[in-house]
Amino acid sequence: MMKNRILLIAVLLHLVTLSDVTVSSAKGEEPVRLTTDQSFKQHLQSSPDGKQFSFTRIHQGKMGVWTMAADGSGFKRLLPGHDQPDFDAHWSPDGKRLVYVHDQFQGTDGKLSLRTCNVDGSDEQILIPHKAFDESPRYSPDGKQVLFVSTRDGNPELYTVGLDGKDVKRLTSQVAYDLHPAWSPDGKQIAFASGRTGKQKIFAVKSDGTGAKALTDGDFLDAWPAWSPDGKRIAFVSNRTGNYDVWLMDADGKNLKNLTEHSGHDTSPAWSPDGKSIAFVSTRHGGSDVYRIAVE
Amino acid sequence: MLSIGRQRNGRCFTRRSFLQVGGSSVFGLSLANLLRAQETGRTPGSAKAVILVWMWGGPSQLETFDPKPNAPLETRGPFGTIPTRIPGVRFCELFPKLAGISDQLAVVRTLSTLSNDHGIAGTIGLTGSAAGGTGLDGKPLAGSARPATGAIVAKVRSSANEASRLPPFLVVGGKLHQGHKAIVGEGGGPLGALYDPFRLEYDPAYGTRVPALELPPALTPERLADRRTLLDALGAAERTVESAHKAGALDDYRTRAFALLTSPDARQMFDLSKEPAKLADGYGRTRFGQSCLLARRLVENGVPFVQVNWSDHVEAEEDAGDGGWDNHYRHFQLTQDRQAPNFDQGLTALLNDLKQRGLLKSTLVVAVGEFGRDPKVNDKAGREHWPGCYSALVAGGGTRGGRFVGTSDARAAKPADTPLTPGDLCATVHHAVGLTSEQITGMGLTPAGRVIEELF
Repeated sequence: MMKNRILLIAVLLHLVTLSDVTVSSAKGEEPVRLTTDQSFKQHLQSSPDGKQFSFTRIHQGKMGVWTMAADGSGFKRLLPGHDQPDFDAHWSPDGKRLVYVHDQFQGTDGKLSLRTCNVDGSDEQILIPHKAFDESPRYSPDGKQVLFVSTRDGNPELYTVGLDGKDVKRLTSQVAYDLHPAWSPDGKQIAFASGRTGKQKIFAVKSDGTGAKALTDGDFLDAWPAWSPDGKRIAFVSNRTGNYDVWLMDADGKNLKNLTEHSGHDTSPAWSPDGKSIAFVSTRHGGSDVYRIAVE
Repeated sequence: MLSIGRQRNGRCFTRRSFLQVGGSSVFGLSLANLLRAQETGRTPGSAKAVILVWMWGGPSQLETFDPKPNAPLETRGPFGTIPTRIPGVRFCELFPKLAGISDQLAVVRTLSTLSNDHGIAGTIGLTGSAAGGTGLDGKPLAGSARPATGAIVAKVRSSANEASRLPPFLVVGGKLHQGHKAIVGEGGGPLGALYDPFRLEYDPAYGTRVPALELPPALTPERLADRRTLLDALGAAERTVESAHKAGALDDYRTRAFALLTSPDARQMFDLSKEPAKLADGYGRTRFGQSCLLARRLVENGVPFVQVNWSDHVEAEEDAGDGGWDNHYRHFQLTQDRQAPNFDQGLTALLNDLKQRGLLKSTLVVAVGEFGRDPKVNDKAGREHWPGCYSALVAGGGTRGGRFVGTSDARAAKPADTPLTPGDLCATVHHAVGLTSEQITGMGLTPAGRVIEELF
């Protein structure tokens, strides 16, 4: 009797321990392949209405921002007249403009600037002229400012800037690289990747840069967080299985799930506006293509 | 899919143009040695084959296999480190697969070279010497370029492997360039054009290409899809060769070289679709990954030296696929997003595949670039060239895994002990395939450096 009681307690303790950190596979139905051209892609972003994607693509030796319909059809280069690279674009909340990085080669170096344009590529404006290494621009949910990464004060930190290119505010000041920022849907938090603990992990910070907290820990590299539209979960990229997969976690860092779990490299998660699916870039079938997977 | 040749510039495959091509290096002239020369004084080594993975552009030692997690941020960069199976050695966290099999490889951490110019350092890396190397200024350095390591191995190994029907020195990838200038050192040098490499290219869109086999202008890409048309075109090309041969216009051995390269056996070997899909997926469906798979098929079929070029150009943005390692800016993003995952997956798959087939013991695999990168990160989140200290991976071919050779200083700026040179690495390759210093000098060459005995 005593022996059974001890055994029961041991089992219960084991289950309680497991529930604090749940890591499981979310693998269910297979992803749907949306593109088949196999050209290099990254920085996938869904338009606010879910009808289009933007992404960085290398096509015929040129890197540029491209758009396509949500079903993977209708590839269109955003700025076909540019012979220098554009990349890492993000949609304004009203879906009318894109902010992106423009690169101007100079020998073996480049000069990066942040620019905006209409979704048809017209009315290109310089938001931040070249000053330092500036990239990963992200419109705020209210559309009034742009979040970005800059080396203007040394190592890459997070900053915001007004739509007129003025009022630059520094948000982070750690002696570490802070990268890949993403606004929460309510604009109150920013998730980002940071090496401040010695490894690149996902952190969250308030929109004024205070209150940083780690959402992931452990060995291996975590990157490119993306909030779900309801703000309750975060998708991110991790190589904790030995290659890059797209993972899900609750917004507090719990309940980690490997969503894509494949030997190919899965990156660039982009939520659909209804939160029911995530599009991502994968090398699973050759080259680099966009896929969509349902999310429970 | 196998693609033979490429339609370009309306070049007509006339007898005259064939003779011109036959007089150049593109027809695997080193194969002529296989068919003509008799091997003398060959000393067997453990390695029957060599795969050189040429990491063009200069990968950072700090973001690969010699990270410095305790250094200041301006040196260590943003990435953490992960444990390996080599006691006391950690890799950058971007290479978990290689870390997982590190008991099969050795890390050489204290290489240094004489130049921070891609062209000259590339010549040094491929030949063991700067002689004849040409930098950005276009002026060649004094002396004649030495033969590539592959050419030397080809000269000695080709007749040892008479069962092989392929050229003994194959490069998978385009000719190496710095800007628009091809670098010196990929060929036979003083050994002659006979030992220039034959070139294959893998294109994710088209499969394996044999660029040297040009086709008549009437053969459009659409007609290429017709197998019958392709066979007819090859037959016509072969009849042209035979005709030229009968006319005595071609060396007998070059004729046979062409015949071998267009043989059904060779075409089968180049055709990666013959591999199980799961295995091919494991290498990564990238140019680099599939080039590694092709390299495995080539050594499996008796090719003594295969060089896999990571890219044709040094810079990351110029190539549509896997750009070079020359990351002067956005270094960390490029390494994390593109270079590291492809390299980690491809090289790991290659080593595992070779081991599972019982080929790793007899195949020496060396992965190295022409130099490293500046321990101090610049203001563009990039790293400049750094010849003072860089790393190489070595596996198989009689070397012992699970070890490191050399320790760099606290910033990976210079060797703290065991300084080594690209010439030493070349000498080590020669040693692995059983070449003696007497054989080297017998070719009219001087030994490039010392054998890195610590690897054996």
